[in-house]
Amino acid sequence: MKANVCSGLLLILLLTVVPSTANELRTTIVYDDTATDLAAAREDGGQLWITTADLKRATRFEVKPQGVCRDELCFPLPKARQQEFIRKTPPVTWFNMTAFAALVHQSVAHDAAMSTWYFGLRSDQRQQLSSLQAPDFTLPDLQGELHRLSDFRGKKILLVTWASW
Amino acid sequence: MKDKNFEIISVAQDTGGAKDAGPWIDPLKYVSVKPDLPPATIETAKKIGPLSYTVLIDEKHLVSKLYNMVNVPTGVWINEQGRIVRPNEVAFVDDRFKNFTGMDSEPYLNALKDWVQKGDKSAYVMSEDHLQKIVTAQSPSIALAAAEFGLGEQLYKSGHHTEAIAHFKEAQRLNPKSWNYKRQAYALTSEKDYGTTFRDEVQKIGGSKVYYPPPELPGSEKSAPSPKL
Repeated sequence: MKANVCSGLLLILLLTVVPSTANELRTTIVYDDTATDLAAAREDGGQLWITTADLKRATRFEVKPQGVCRDELCFPLPKARQQEFIRKTPPVTWFNMTAFAALVHQSVAHDAAMSTWYFGLRSDQRQQLSSLQAPDFTLPDLQGELHRLSDFRGKKILLVTWASW
Repeated sequence: MKDKNFEIISVAQDTGGAKDAGPWIDPLKYVSVKPDLPPATIETAKKIGPLSYTVLIDEKHLVSKLYNMVNVPTGVWINEQGRIVRPNEVAFVDDRFKNFTGMDSEPYLNALKDWVQKGDKSAYVMSEDHLQKIVTAQSPSIALAAAEFGLGEQLYKSGHHTEAIAHFKEAQRLNPKSWNYKRQAYALTSEKDYGTTFRDEVQKIGGSKVYYPPPELPGSEKSAPSPKL
């Protein structure tokens, strides 16, 4: 209990002397169904800002001159709206996750009390179904071995879901 | 239905993952930790031995999300080129639940066998035009429902069961056609948290025949118009 009181006091002291970090929160974001805990994120008017280092760690996306990119996938940021997405407070560069989600038509769910954000499928992922090409996925079997749908290409497949419930 | 050019990929939509789905995949291995498994399931497992098809565990309901599925079992036929030739439909491959569904699995199994044999020439393969009409991308509210459900799952898994319920309810509100969102949520805590029961919900829509609409199979008298996905 003593330790908790002490650390509580220390936190209050820190927040008092470093006002610029007053709105930084421990946050959990779920991206591509993988949860990542972030030591410091900023929530500002319903917008979630994370560091570009955390962006890479949680989503594998990186801010590059041509846009926000991961492997072959690249989403250019509108030139006139750069500051909606990126803010520099050296040595840290902040990235607006919620503005990016809106740009790529990605659904976002948020629990303020738990400071947890869930980023759903982007429109490029959702549109795939209407092309009639079977959306690809990789999932484990009971032994933990991974199987990818497209590895079965060349065979006819009955894909069927079920559940224990 | 063994054929070198045909594969069944069966995917468990279970937030609890192997813990919940495992006993149904490998009953003999799990019988000691789950003694309430139905005796028929144990007997069948003893008789047929290990499953001859691929069974995957999908804790995040990724397949339901990607394919816009709302219930289980849902089947999709995918041809050799990776193209969908029959989209989401009720896919019973045995008669275990016939008492509830009133549906015989035989017409569906026969259709499947016909496709395995004749490929794209099978009468059960849908035309591109028809497929384009019934397969659509998720609407924004359906996508938001999936995000709310995913958030609920994350909170549940991190031990915040009460906090998860509000998001499961929101997912159910945004995508009322999804039985997956209802039944998985009920199973994680209790139907009481949602002020309803599965049976009541099925009655509300008109009973089990609406809950499980029969597949639209050419030549079948009972074929119903396929629902918009």
